[in-house]
Amino acid sequence: MDFSGSQTIAAPIDKVWAFLLDVNKVAECAPGFQSLEVLGEEHWKAVVSVGIGAVKAKFTLDVTRPEMHEPDHMVVKARGKAPGSAVELSGDMHLTAVDSGQTRMDWEAKVIVSGTIASVGARLLQGTAEKLTGQFFACLKAKLEPAGSSQS
Amino acid sequence: MTTTSAGPHVHGLGEPYKRKEDARFIRGKGNYVDDIQLPGMLYADIVRSPYAHALIKGIDISKALQVPGVVAIITGKDLEAAGLAWMPTLSGDTEAVLAVDRVLYQMQEVAFVVAESRYAAADGAAAVEVDYEPLPVVVDPRKALAPDAPLLRPDKKDRQPTNQIYHWETGDRAATDAAFAEAEQNGVVVRQDMYVPRIHPAPIETCGCVADYNAATGKLTVWMTSQAPHAHRTLFAIVSGLPEHRIRVISPDVGGGFGNKVPIYPGYVCAVVAALKTGRPVKWIEDRTENLTSTGFARDYHIHAEIAADKEGTVKALRVYTLADHGAFDAAAQPTKFPAGLFHICTGSYDFKHAHVAVDAVHTNKAPGGIAYRCSFRVTEASYLIERMMDTLAREVGKDPAEIRLQNFIKPEAFPYRSALGWTYDSGNYERALRLAMEKIGYEELRREQAEKRARGELMGIGISSFTEIVGAGPGKHFDIAGIQMFDSCEIRVHPTGKVLARIGVQTQGQGHETTFAQIIAAELGISPDDVDVEHGDTDTAPYGLGTYASRSTPVGGAATAVAARKIRDKARKIAAYLLEVGEEDLEWEPGRFYVRGSPSKGKTIQEIAFAAYTNCPPYLEPGLEAVNYYDPPNLTYPFGSYICVVDIDRGTGEVHIRRFLAVDDCGTVINPMIVEGQIHGGLTQGLAPALYEQLAYDEDGNVLGSNFQDYLIPTAMETPRWETARTVTPSPHHPIGAKGVGESPTVGAPQAIANAVVDALAHVGVRHIDIPITPWKVWAILKEKGLATA
Repeated sequence: MDFSGSQTIAAPIDKVWAFLLDVNKVAECAPGFQSLEVLGEEHWKAVVSVGIGAVKAKFTLDVTRPEMHEPDHMVVKARGKAPGSAVELSGDMHLTAVDSGQTRMDWEAKVIVSGTIASVGARLLQGTAEKLTGQFFACLKAKLEPAGSSQS
Repeated sequence: MTTTSAGPHVHGLGEPYKRKEDARFIRGKGNYVDDIQLPGMLYADIVRSPYAHALIKGIDISKALQVPGVVAIITGKDLEAAGLAWMPTLSGDTEAVLAVDRVLYQMQEVAFVVAESRYAAADGAAAVEVDYEPLPVVVDPRKALAPDAPLLRPDKKDRQPTNQIYHWETGDRAATDAAFAEAEQNGVVVRQDMYVPRIHPAPIETCGCVADYNAATGKLTVWMTSQAPHAHRTLFAIVSGLPEHRIRVISPDVGGGFGNKVPIYPGYVCAVVAALKTGRPVKWIEDRTENLTSTGFARDYHIHAEIAADKEGTVKALRVYTLADHGAFDAAAQPTKFPAGLFHICTGSYDFKHAHVAVDAVHTNKAPGGIAYRCSFRVTEASYLIERMMDTLAREVGKDPAEIRLQNFIKPEAFPYRSALGWTYDSGNYERALRLAMEKIGYEELRREQAEKRARGELMGIGISSFTEIVGAGPGKHFDIAGIQMFDSCEIRVHPTGKVLARIGVQTQGQGHETTFAQIIAAELGISPDDVDVEHGDTDTAPYGLGTYASRSTPVGGAATAVAARKIRDKARKIAAYLLEVGEEDLEWEPGRFYVRGSPSKGKTIQEIAFAAYTNCPPYLEPGLEAVNYYDPPNLTYPFGSYICVVDIDRGTGEVHIRRFLAVDDCGTVINPMIVEGQIHGGLTQGLAPALYEQLAYDEDGNVLGSNFQDYLIPTAMETPRWETARTVTPSPHHPIGAKGVGESPTVGAPQAIANAVVDALAHVGVRHIDIPITPWKVWAILKEKGLATA
């Protein structure tokens, strides 16, 4: 499955970049986030629980950031498994300064889901992915944007 | 039943005798595999691959072994060390029991966990850590043969260098091509691509077994959901090296098979290995998702068919090319000499002078199978294509679908009929069946109604299927499974008091053998079916048989039963002659009794004769009254029928409503009309299923999208219309009682009647074909395209 989107965040580009650079902050915004462990430089183990329809699974993800160009381009890859299911994620993010106080984030993601989650949840995957993405950006904005700002 | 004197009424052939087995089933006293409880029994669960194609880099069972209750874990490496990692399939391929270094389809078996409880086994399976490296996936069989397609089976690249399993063809290609060339010039040619989708038999009871090894006696007992217990015993012996007389396979009550329980699955083998390893009985029972996603599927044929005819629509030649998707292992259940089964029955009920069929089979990253789902080895695919094509031809030459069939039927006087593809049809009267169906349903009136409705913008369709089945394999010289010839058997013992124990080589999964086989004996010996117990499914007691599938029980096992009973009667005649002090030739038989010709009051009942067989046997005969027959049929049988379906289509939703469905079946001599009726109702519902609902679909990554009954839609009573049935009787000339078998006719005949009706409803706007399952979405898309949708 391929996803993409564009978000405008009411914060300057270097502030957004700094936030995205800090995996602990990003992880807090990941829906279902449970724990994060550093395995090495730019290499983490993350545990995330996901529910798709009636199926709930706790994924253990191996996360890396193979590409980084400060302050505007970042690639994140993750591969993980849960009993009977597996997932591979690849995210590509570009930041553009709209003006001194606003940043546009263009992102693309490729997700391959295998196993029970894919079989049982097939009809719900797209919707669930969109919902989870929405939650992630809502969290991101809440943490980055000055209180009272309501740009969406 | 008329008799010449006061013989007993014995409920023989043609009587709607209530099923003897129902007494235990309706009381909840059946004994299925999962009902079996043994002391100290362990429970199993299987670790399965989430990937459709991946390398296994490692399996870590250390955490799983720590899970409370887990007793043992078996991996592919363990099996490899014991020489059991691979097993032969029914089609000469080898299949991984547990994957060693590579998984080839989602849900493939990777490790086998046994524990003190089913829950602990599941927890243990979840704790097994498998490190996979995903590989490119081949889902579309048309891409399996591309030069850049990944080779799915490097394990056999020496003998099969590509993903192509076989190319098989039959018929006279040159004569067929010439007939097409002629038709292109002076007649008509119709062509159609069609897909008969991958479906699953989905029996109510999933597959499973209990394996119990007694180390003291060296005897292995396996209770398993098996449609062919003897063949499975022999295969177990060959694969495991255990002596065959120390293996006992018991197929207890089985909750539906439909072909799904013909293959040997990895779970059975692993349960046996686990029982040997732990010294304790091991039970393995699939859940619904495992059954749907990993055990034998059916169909999955991509068909291109062409008919050459003259301008009047008289058929000349049939040409068929098929691409068969067999999945990761070629585990199709076929007689050895017929890689595409009996698919070349595809000239159907029609008198084609020439035909040619070619089939290519390929591997994909899908579960193995290709079993005969309530049909005799690819007959459903064959019947579907020819019945769809006859409708296409009718449209092309502007004739009614009934008329084109009546015009092209094999005539009754042409039997035994040799088809262009080499089959010898035993008997048939296709016109009589179709005319009866047309009369019963009011065909002409329905066509008038359709024309009126069409004028008002309403969509109504009438579909016909005049199918010919081919069932009852052997003969043994042409048909074998893994080398074992497809005969079948019956052993009858008449006890001194005239009660009977009959043991048969076929096995029931709900067909009612305990009743129908008792009725065959009743008809032959004049002993009430109440006094005849029929046993089956236990390899230590039943005579060797090839099992129940492909509608072969009555044609083969039923014939063995009739012949064995006749042997009993022959001996009874000798005993009666001795008792009555007359010559054998002076005796007449009436059901249950021999009497002296000309003196009907002077006779001996079969019960009196049985008693004498043990108490006053003629000195020149062996005592006792028993007989065995192993029956190798001289030919297959060819049941047939004509089905007519009437549908209305909702222009708002695209939904197809089956208003009427009439099935005229001809299965030759009917043993028990009530059981035949039940078989037809069930079979029609399983024929409705692929027509409108069922498809085992895969996404592009090889994930199964029909892994449960939420996503894989089987029809229930809510979806099932009222079935109307009628019958003609054209006995098989070569079968001892003239029976042909009926279990699969409705599944074979029904889908195309429904598909033809839907296409018929839309034919006036140019629709010629819609692939099954014909879902509301597909119909609605067509309505939208044709400007007919009201929403």
